[in-house]
Amino acid sequence: MDIKTSILLWIPLLPLFGAIVNGLFGRHFSRPLVSAIGCGTVGMAFVLGLVASADIFASNGEARLVQSVYAWITAGNISIQLSFLLDSLSVIMVLVVAGVSFLIHVYSTGYMRDDPSHARYFAYLNLFVFSMLVLVLGDNLPVLFVGWEGVGLCSYLLIGFWFEDPAKASAGKKAFIVNRIGDLGFLIGMFLLFGAVGSLSIDDLRAGTAQGLIAPGLATAACLFLFLGATGKSAQIPLYVWLPDAMAGPTPVSALIHAATMVTAGVYMIARLSFLFAISPTASAVVALVGGLTALIAATIGITQKDIKKVLAYSTVSQLGYMFVAVGVGAYFAGIFHLMTHAFFKACLFLGSGAVIHALSGVQDITKMGGLRKKLPWTYWTFLISTLAIAGFPPFAGFFSKDEILWKALSSTSHAPWASWVHLAAYGMGILAAAITSFYMFRLVFLTFHGKSRLDPSIHVHHEMKSMSYPLAVLAGLATVAGWVGASLFGIHSFADFLDPVVGAAQKTAVVMRDFAHNHSIEWAAAVGSVAVAFIGLGLAWLLYIKSPDTPWRLAERFRFTYRLVFNKYWVDEFYEAFIIRPIHAFSVFLWRIVDVVIIDGFGVNGPARLLKGIGHVGRRLQSGNVQAYAFWLFAGVAGALLYLALAVGVI
Amino acid sequence: MSNLVSFGYIVPELLLGAMAVILFLLSAMRRRNLLRKTIFPGLAILGLMAALSVLVNRTSGGIFGGDPGCISGCSLFFGLLATDPLADFFRILVISATTICVLISIGSPALPKGRTGEYHGLLLVMCLGMCLLSAANHLLMVYVAMETVSLCSYLLTGWDARKCRSREAGMKYVLFGGVASGVMLFGMSLFYGLFGDLSFQGLHLALQGSGALSGAMGQWAATLSVVFMFAGFGYKIAATPFHMWCPDVYEGAPTPFTALLSVGPKAVGMALILRFFYSIFLFPGSMETVIGASGQIPWLLLIGIVSAVTMTLGNLAALVQNNVKRLLAYSSIAHAGYILMGVTAGGQEGFEAVSLYMAVYLIMNMGAFAVVSLVEKASGSEELQVFRGLGKRAPLVALVMTIFLISLAGLPPTAGFIGKLYLFAALLERGGFWFLMLALVGVTNSVVSLYFYARVLKSMYMEKADTDLPTIPIRNPAAVTATALSFATLFLGLFWQPLATAARWSATLFH
Amino acid sequence: MITLQHYLVLSAIVFSLGVAGVLLRRNALVILMSVELMLNAANLALLGFARQLGDTTGQSLALFVMTVAAAEAAVGLALVLALFRGRGTVNVDEVRSLRG
Repeated sequence: MDIKTSILLWIPLLPLFGAIVNGLFGRHFSRPLVSAIGCGTVGMAFVLGLVASADIFASNGEARLVQSVYAWITAGNISIQLSFLLDSLSVIMVLVVAGVSFLIHVYSTGYMRDDPSHARYFAYLNLFVFSMLVLVLGDNLPVLFVGWEGVGLCSYLLIGFWFEDPAKASAGKKAFIVNRIGDLGFLIGMFLLFGAVGSLSIDDLRAGTAQGLIAPGLATAACLFLFLGATGKSAQIPLYVWLPDAMAGPTPVSALIHAATMVTAGVYMIARLSFLFAISPTASAVVALVGGLTALIAATIGITQKDIKKVLAYSTVSQLGYMFVAVGVGAYFAGIFHLMTHAFFKACLFLGSGAVIHALSGVQDITKMGGLRKKLPWTYWTFLISTLAIAGFPPFAGFFSKDEILWKALSSTSHAPWASWVHLAAYGMGILAAAITSFYMFRLVFLTFHGKSRLDPSIHVHHEMKSMSYPLAVLAGLATVAGWVGASLFGIHSFADFLDPVVGAAQKTAVVMRDFAHNHSIEWAAAVGSVAVAFIGLGLAWLLYIKSPDTPWRLAERFRFTYRLVFNKYWVDEFYEAFIIRPIHAFSVFLWRIVDVVIIDGFGVNGPARLLKGIGHVGRRLQSGNVQAYAFWLFAGVAGALLYLALAVGVI
Repeated sequence: MSNLVSFGYIVPELLLGAMAVILFLLSAMRRRNLLRKTIFPGLAILGLMAALSVLVNRTSGGIFGGDPGCISGCSLFFGLLATDPLADFFRILVISATTICVLISIGSPALPKGRTGEYHGLLLVMCLGMCLLSAANHLLMVYVAMETVSLCSYLLTGWDARKCRSREAGMKYVLFGGVASGVMLFGMSLFYGLFGDLSFQGLHLALQGSGALSGAMGQWAATLSVVFMFAGFGYKIAATPFHMWCPDVYEGAPTPFTALLSVGPKAVGMALILRFFYSIFLFPGSMETVIGASGQIPWLLLIGIVSAVTMTLGNLAALVQNNVKRLLAYSSIAHAGYILMGVTAGGQEGFEAVSLYMAVYLIMNMGAFAVVSLVEKASGSEELQVFRGLGKRAPLVALVMTIFLISLAGLPPTAGFIGKLYLFAALLERGGFWFLMLALVGVTNSVVSLYFYARVLKSMYMEKADTDLPTIPIRNPAAVTATALSFATLFLGLFWQPLATAARWSATLFH
Repeated sequence: MITLQHYLVLSAIVFSLGVAGVLLRRNALVILMSVELMLNAANLALLGFARQLGDTTGQSLALFVMTVAAAEAAVGLALVLALFRGRGTVNVDEVRSLRG
């Protein structure tokens, strides 16, 4: 196959190749070889991605590349191609996914060095990269869905990677089941669209939307179902509960799958279908509102968590909420912008937490850390930079992307009559969450790296490893500078311009600017406000955790109910347990105890299975072993058929 | 077409026959001790591959674009045989099936060591019979080809003369088969008397022109004779109520041969039923006239009923089996029912679905039997309990079996799912009430069948063996074949388009 | 004058005898012979029809049937013999280890 015409196919194929080789033969390879295959294939995919996107960069996002590999399904007038699409949106996704994956692969060579299932780990990780690349490159929804399911599967496999531990295995199952609920929504959304347009390729859907093939009501329904899928994959209310538990997996996995890439798939999907969401202000408003609520609630939970990875997990949920606010208010490019910067700083944070956990041989409780600044300098500085980025301090990346989202939410509204309030509410929740983010992130930094050591004296702090420190440094560097590509405060709009060919039209459809939207002084004032709340959060954290470290516990005592409410994550898990899982379970028990045992057993047969088995036993008795009986049934069959036909034809 | 020209079209059959003769001769000379045992499977595969390559060479132009070959009117030996895509598709299937059978026979303990030459010779003759049957266009040819297949099957079923159950199965098979072919032959003779011809074309013309079906008596006689013949066809595909021989014979026959028996005769039986019903009773132009053309006799409905009863009975009986080989026998009865759904649907879609499903069924079912053969070889039994803990003892074999079982149950992402999809789609395409009901029965049955396939899975992965069971060696042709088939099952579950294209091509006869 | 009807009636009688033999006799050898009766009934009908139609196709089929029937008898006999060697019986209702 000519490499030029099939380059898009090779981008995902390389990691797949790595996964197959490591999965099948990895056990017989040496560890460096396994690592080299794992990192090498992903690195090559990244390079290929760069090569393939040269034209698109050169044309500032105007060019696009569609390569069809194979007519996947052709039946009647249905034709689904296995084809890939590279435009400015997928360029960003491919480069972020392949680039961050590469760094995390490198990091993993150190982190997983002593794990007995080294090869299996790299095989899964490569398989994940393959699926994720299929997801972002898919030219139609079925291909996207294949990737969507693939990443879900890999996530499940990797969360339960240490499946010997039942809690970890069950965390994997929880993720799997919650995601299935979302996937059902995704499928229904796809069917609705197919029913209306008769095709599922992105271009046909776009054309169909433009021709008005999709009625507004249908668009809203389809969008809401697709968004249900997004809430599952991207851990939004009400389906976010799986993500914190997913921290049971190895930390690089949390960094890659549960922070940087997979969980952003929902945001990507909405940006990809922005033309569709744009014609449904209702669905968009729901997206924005859910995003804002998630950002706020997850941030408050983050305040009270003691497990370093759980804090970061809720922080991820919260940051994903921001992205949904962005795509909900029609600022699709801002959502993708934040997706990109978040991938950098959150991957860095997770890898940093992994470095801490690795150095402390598995301690994850931040109340038992402290004073690690000196012992883990690389980790500390990169972690600090990323914290500044996520908390929204200029000039770090998170400031620009988060500020862009907040400003767009404040300065725009949509065609729905009440959208004005929704956007304001989203802004309010966003700014509040920003303050809280700053607070809990610095709480994390202070408790982990500052103050006196509260470590168990028996723990020996390991040295930092180079293979782990270098990726941290690269990511921290990106977290510092990446924001400048979209620093609209300073008149830099390159990121928005680059994405404009893909999402620009949709944005124009969706958004109604408020009258002050182009007023620079108000924009500056809003930005100053964002920075101010970040400082407030930082200051509070400093007061509570450096200045007077006893205060938090006193506060927790004083506001015991509130603290426990938040610490227990608003009892959402318990709520689901009590109102969804228990009732279903109780209903099953009722079916089993009452309907099955009493009613059906009362009549002598135990459930349909027994009934069928009973018939099976009768059939078995007919099979008596006597060949004469068999011949009898042959003649009986002939006679029966004749009788039936004679009756049907009316001969007798 | 004249005899001389016709020979050019049956080169695959000639090759198979010649190789069979060579095998018989060589095995007669085995006292010279020059020939080792491995030469027989080698020669058999050589013959099969030669036949297959001739066939593929001839048809490859037709499948993927280009000339579809003789669509109609190409009949050989003055109408005895047809040469068309349907015949070629099923020839390729049965030759492949025989090849797989030879491969999984290597090293099987169920086959007596001293008689490998005859064994392979008979396999080739059986393959020859199946090739002829899939092309048979004349009732004489149908009879002769079917008996060729049957006689070889009887012998090979009773091949393991050391085992009681092999002998018993052979005896039952020959008695039941004899009765079935007697009934079929009697139907043929009546049919001949009514219409004065035995070739399908002639019968078609006679049916079109004659008033034989106008009177009640004529209609009665025609019905009787077709039902009699259908008993013979139904016996070949193991459709209820002509299936009773099937579980006993499958269980008793040497496992590698069971694999072939569960696929080959069923495939050509289906081809025969398609050809028989649709080329004799169909008036040119439209599928819809099938019912009307056969004198108001609702053949389709009859086949539909047989289909529903067959799959239901097969699945229900499989629920209570504890022997995996016997379980698969009932499962193969159920699959005959599924495939008959496609026959009932008819039309381009129905034919396509039958061809496609038959190919898929060949792969997954022979694979499952290959695994059973491996397990049987290692543990001396094929009861469900020797499958316990297979996931631990022999992970690869268990995984391969899992793929086959998932495919047989018709779940994605396997070929079995695609096959079922095409069958149901064909029925839904027809869209009448009875077709929908049949589809409903089919779906319900698929759900029921999950239970017993899952039982095997449960046994392999979740139950511990009571005693120490041996692991299963995987460095042998049978295990490699099974693994390759499992790959094919997965592959076709994702990329079935080439197969669908070939299946569509095979149905061009009935455009 | 022997007409087609005579052939057909005789053929039907012979076929019925064969069916009855298959269903009623326990001895595998007798069942095999009954199968032969069924085949010969079909042959009789074929020949009767062929004579009436003045067509040779039926006769050729009958010839093939005779040949095949001989082969079938040989195979059947061999299998029944093998069974007898192992079990000491040829009664079909006593050979029922494969069942269910």
